[in-house]
Amino acid sequence: MTQFLKEAAEFVVVGSYRWLKHSTIAAFTEVGDTALFAGRVFRSLLTAAPNPIEIVEQMYVVGVRSLPTTLISGAFVGAIMAIQINMQLRDFGAQGYLGGLSTSVTLRNVGPVLIAFILSGKVGAFTSAELGTMRVTDQIDALRCLGMDPIRFLIVPRLVAVILSSFMLLIVGLIVTVIGGIFISVTYLGVNPEYYARNIPSIVGWGSVAIGVFKSFWFGVVIAVLACHRGFATQGGAAGVGRGVRQAAVSTLVCIVAFDFLISGLMSLVLPLFAGDSL
Amino acid sequence: MIDSVIRTFSDVGKIALVLRTVVVTVLRELSRGKFRLWLVIEQMFAMGLQSIPVLVVAVTFVSLMMVMELSFHMRMLLGQDSLVPAFSTLLMLRELAPVVTCLLLASKIGAGISAEFATMRVTEQLDALDQLGIDPISYLVVPRWIASVVCCVGLTVISVLVSIVGGILMAASALGYTWEQYFHSMLFLSRFSDLMASAGKAACFGTLIPVVATYYGFRAVPTSEGVGNAATSAVVMSSVGIITVDFLLTYLFYAV
Repeated sequence: MTQFLKEAAEFVVVGSYRWLKHSTIAAFTEVGDTALFAGRVFRSLLTAAPNPIEIVEQMYVVGVRSLPTTLISGAFVGAIMAIQINMQLRDFGAQGYLGGLSTSVTLRNVGPVLIAFILSGKVGAFTSAELGTMRVTDQIDALRCLGMDPIRFLIVPRLVAVILSSFMLLIVGLIVTVIGGIFISVTYLGVNPEYYARNIPSIVGWGSVAIGVFKSFWFGVVIAVLACHRGFATQGGAAGVGRGVRQAAVSTLVCIVAFDFLISGLMSLVLPLFAGDSL
Repeated sequence: MIDSVIRTFSDVGKIALVLRTVVVTVLRELSRGKFRLWLVIEQMFAMGLQSIPVLVVAVTFVSLMMVMELSFHMRMLLGQDSLVPAFSTLLMLRELAPVVTCLLLASKIGAGISAEFATMRVTEQLDALDQLGIDPISYLVVPRWIASVVCCVGLTVISVLVSIVGGILMAASALGYTWEQYFHSMLFLSRFSDLMASAGKAACFGTLIPVVATYYGFRAVPTSEGVGNAATSAVVMSSVGIITVDFLLTYLFYAV
């Protein structure tokens, strides 16, 4: 019995050690790979300007079709945050701050993150599935055989289009969160709209808006780079395309959360230099 | 435009039909006493255990963020931050822990399941199951459904714990709290019923994810493009579904 227990413990310890080692190495390899890929893409972007018509075409495919999803999720995120903040403030009789506080928390932090989560599925997974299919059906190799650089003709326009359209979609989504918050407060929480809106300008300063916009831009970059890289590096037939989509979505989510923290930390150091105490 | 609206609604209806089929199959299996426990355990290992590292990293960052943000707002409004742990824990517990966990799992589990089923469609494994007289719903979908509900609830509870640890680290390093002060402030507002509500939310999301993934996986066009489309649609539909269901549940729990 003790022998069995010893063997079982050894199995668990050794197994989890190996698993941890493999997954750590895999994670670092992935980060390095992505960085190298991003370096190649941005060098290509700087040396040869991409075709603007191609970019507009991609933006239509990626951006316009994602607009309904963004609007729905933005409105719900704003409404959810208004309900939660209302719940917390009501116990203290501080409902006067409801509009300002829920708008501020949503704009600075929760809104960009949650809407970017949705977009990483809609925009990111779509791009990586498309590129993955091209890779698996040998279309990328065909391009190379025709003497065209796949990075320059395939990846760069897509990357620029995804960055721009995610950025714009996130801004639209953030505007819709404010509307969703107002709507739910007026219709269901029984708060006077004037009462709700009165505190917004005093609590939501330009610093908060700047943080929201800055985060939106970087989340667009994260979604674009990771989706393009995962799609471009797809291997292994139809199953590989599915795996690529899943990996792109998961790593985008983790990177978005990490970037959110880093940007907030940086901004809280940098912004006071410009705005003083009146954030 | 009209077409896509109609298509979305018909998708939602068909997903509801898949849910009904799955529930009926589970009830029939339970009443006959032939239940494939081993498959459920296998799926729970694949879904739950392997998602923990990613989840811990993501939730830690979110909890650090919340403490930082709320201390900014409290200082601005009240001029002090003694209630930061109370508010940040409450927001994490009621809202962000289940939603962030399940959005992450929607990418990981949902895309995985639907890509797997679509690949089975490509390689004609689903037809082979049919030939063998095995019901794919009872053999493939039911174990994934049960495993996903258990994993979503369990991982949400884990992410609540992780977020408390992350919050303590942030509050201790940046705001000068001791952990006793943190717990004191935290337990001032949080109740056990909040944890139960959050587990309830997670169970609903855990039902949504595999059912949506099953629908898109089973009806995939059998090409590599079809696999990609199935995985993408599953992620999008389940993420939007999670936000929508979360709004409905939040409204039911906290605003009625």
